Amino acid sequence: MNDRSLTKMKKSGGPVHLSERTWGYLFAGPAFALVSLIALAPIAAALWLSLRQQLPIFGIDEFVGIRNYLQLWGDDRFWAACRTTLYFTALSVSAELLLGFGFALLLNRLSDGAGRGLRWAHVMIILPWAIPTVVSAQIWAWLYQPDYGLLNYLLHAAGVTGGRIDWLADPDWAIHAAVVMDVWKTTPFAALLLLAGLKTVPRELYAAARVDGAGAWEQFRRITLPLLMPVVVIVLVFRTMDAVRVFDAVFVLTGGGPGNSTETLSIYAYKTLFQTLQFGYGSALATAMFVLAALLSMLYLALLRRHVQESA
Amino acid sequence: MITGVFLLLWTAVTIGCMQSGEGTDRAQTVVVFKHGKLSGDGRVLSDLLRDFERDHQGVIIREELLPADSDRQHQYYAMNLDGGKAPFDLLGIDTIWAQEFAKAGWIAPLDGFMTPAEQEEFLPGPIEAATFSGRLYAVPWYVDAGVLYYRRDLLDRHGLEPPRTWLELAHIAKAVLEAEQNSALTGFVWQGKQYEGLMCVTLEVLRSNGTDLWSGDRDRAVYGLRFLRETIATHRITPLSTSMADEESTRWMFGEGRALFMRNWPYAWSLLQREGSPVRGKVGVVPLPAFPGFASAPVLGGWMLAMPNSSTHQEVVGELIRFLTSSDAQRKVAVELGYNPVRRALYADESLLELRPFLKDLYPILLAARPRPVTPYYLLISQAVQPEISAVVVGRKSPDEALDAIRRRADQIMGEQISTAELDRS
Repeated sequence: MNDRSLTKMKKSGGPVHLSERTWGYLFAGPAFALVSLIALAPIAAALWLSLRQQLPIFGIDEFVGIRNYLQLWGDDRFWAACRTTLYFTALSVSAELLLGFGFALLLNRLSDGAGRGLRWAHVMIILPWAIPTVVSAQIWAWLYQPDYGLLNYLLHAAGVTGGRIDWLADPDWAIHAAVVMDVWKTTPFAALLLLAGLKTVPRELYAAARVDGAGAWEQFRRITLPLLMPVVVIVLVFRTMDAVRVFDAVFVLTGGGPGNSTETLSIYAYKTLFQTLQFGYGSALATAMFVLAALLSMLYLALLRRHVQESA
Repeated sequence: MITGVFLLLWTAVTIGCMQSGEGTDRAQTVVVFKHGKLSGDGRVLSDLLRDFERDHQGVIIREELLPADSDRQHQYYAMNLDGGKAPFDLLGIDTIWAQEFAKAGWIAPLDGFMTPAEQEEFLPGPIEAATFSGRLYAVPWYVDAGVLYYRRDLLDRHGLEPPRTWLELAHIAKAVLEAEQNSALTGFVWQGKQYEGLMCVTLEVLRSNGTDLWSGDRDRAVYGLRFLRETIATHRITPLSTSMADEESTRWMFGEGRALFMRNWPYAWSLLQREGSPVRGKVGVVPLPAFPGFASAPVLGGWMLAMPNSSTHQEVVGELIRFLTSSDAQRKVAVELGYNPVRRALYADESLLELRPFLKDLYPILLAARPRPVTPYYLLISQAVQPEISAVVVGRKSPDEALDAIRRRADQIMGEQISTAELDRS
C-alpha cells in the first residue's frame, strides 16, 4: 500500500522532480553541514594555522608553507615526544586491554551465578573511571610521594626495597608511574565494553562446544575471542586515541619532567601553543598528533577487516 | 501575567538607573584592575583601592582576580592583549614579562607618570627589568630575590657558621648530616622541577661563578651546572625528589624541619616563623653562597603594574599606579601582607623595620638582585632550556652536552626572531 502510493506519487510527479539519490543527499545535507561545522572546520583551521608562522608577541603573522613541518622534522624534542607518546600508548593500552579482559570475564562469570555482589562489583570497577583525571592524578601524585607516599610505605613494610624509590623524580620511573595511573583509571572502560561484548555471545555455542568435548581454554580461543574481536578493536581504537592524546594525567603528575622524560606530544604542543605562544608551530605539532592517531586507528581497522574476511 | 512582571521589572530597573545617575554630576569612570590572587587577606588591597576612589570622585576600581598560577596568568594576558582591545585597564605582571609585553606593543610606556628622578627612588633591579629600549613600561609593585634559609639551631649545635661559598655549603651539610645521624634530615633543598623556578636557581649558581647561562665563560658555566647535579649525585646533600620540587614543596620540607638549607624566596620567612611552625625561631637567612672570587648573585622576582595600550583611562590609571607604588601604600602592603616594598627609602624607615625587622637583612640582597636575562625572547628561551637543565639535574645529560644544547637553542631563537622581525619591518 505504501509502496504503491509512493510509486503513484512519483508517477504523478510532485512540484519538484528529483531522483531518489538527490533526495537522499538533500536529506543528509543538514547532518553533513552540522558535522562539518563542528568537526571539520576546526581541523581545517588548525591545518591552515600550521602553515603560518604566528607569534603574536612579535607581531608576526605570515604564511610560511610547510616550513613548520620541516622544522618539526629536524626537532629532536618532537621525536623524543613521539617516542614517549608511543611508549606510553603501547604499555598502557596493552595493559588496559589484558586487565580489562580479565575483569570482564570475571564479571561475566559473576552475573552467570547468583550475582548478589554483581552490582557492587560493577560500582567498584567503574569508580576509578568516574573520577576526573586531574583529581585522580593528584591522588596518585600523593601515593607516589617518596617520603610519605603510601606506595613506598607498603614496599617498605613488605621489605621489598631497601631504599626508597623516587617514583616521579627518577626519569626511569616517571613514565611508568604515569602508565600505572592511566591503567588504574581506564581499565574499567575497557572492562565494561568487553563485558557488553561478552553478553552478546550466545550461550548455545558454549553448550555445543561442551558437548563436543572442548575445554575452557578451547572455548575461549575458538568462541569467545573470535566473536569478541570487533569489540576488542573498538576498545583498542578508543583507548589508543586517548593514550596518544594523553595530557592531564601526565601533566598533573610530572609536568613533562624530569628532563623531558615524560613529555608527550600533547604536553609539548600545549607548552608551544600556550606557554610560548607559537601558534603556527604548535598547530603543526597538533596536526602531527592527529596524523599519528589517524594512522594507528587505520591500522586497527585494517586488522579488523582482515579478521572479518578470514572468518567469513 | 508574564508581560506584567517584565513591565514591572523594566520600570524598577529604569528608576534604579535614574536614581544612581542623579548623585554624580560626572560620568563614572570604571577602571578594571586585573591581577593574580595575592597571598593573604585580599581586603588589604581592596581597602587601598577604596581609599583611591574616595580621593577621586567618579572613579570606580573593579578588581578582577586571576589564578595565582603565573603560567595561566600569562596565557590569559597574551590572549586578551593580542586582540588590541583588552578588557582591563591595569594589570599585574611578572617581572619576566615586561620586555615581552613591551616589545609586542601591548603595554604603554609609563615614563610620563614616573620621571627618571622618581625611578631613582626604586630598587635598581626591577627598574632595569621594566625598561625596554630606554623607556619605562611597568612600575615595580613588590619585589623578591632568592635567599638561603638555614637552620640556626643545627649550625649552632655543631659550632658552624652559615656558608659563604657553595662548596662550604656542601661541606657543612655533609658534616651536619653525618653528626646528626637522622635519616629524615637532608642537607640542601632547592627548586629542581622542570619549570621557571629551576631557571632561577641555575642562574643564581652560574652567575655566582662569574658567568651566565647563554653567554659568558663556558667552563665556569659547565662547572656550575655540574655543581647542581653533584649536590644530588656525589655530595648527597640533596634528595633526588628535588628534581620534582617547587617553592611550596621545598618550603614544606624545610618547614617540617627536614632540611638544613633551602633556597627560596623571602615569602617563606613569615610562614616559617608563624606560630605552630616546627622550625619557628630556629631559622636564619643569609645571601646565597657564591663560588670563590665571585659575589652572591640572587635572581630578581616580583610583580609590576602595567597599563594596556588600549586603555581609555590612561590618566586615571597612571594616577592609580602612582598611588599603589607610593610610600604609604607600599608600607601598608608590607606590614599587612608581608610583601617587600620596591622603594628604597622604606628599608630605612624605622617604624616599618620595627614591625618587619626581616626587611633589614633583606635589603642588601634585594639591592644586589639581578633580573633574569632582560630580553623579549626570555620566555621562549626559558621554555627551550628548562628540559636541558632538568636532564642535567637527574643525570640524563652531561653538563657539557646540555650547555652546548642550551647555547645553540638560545642563539637560534634570538637569531631567528630577530631576522624574521627585521624581514617583517622591511
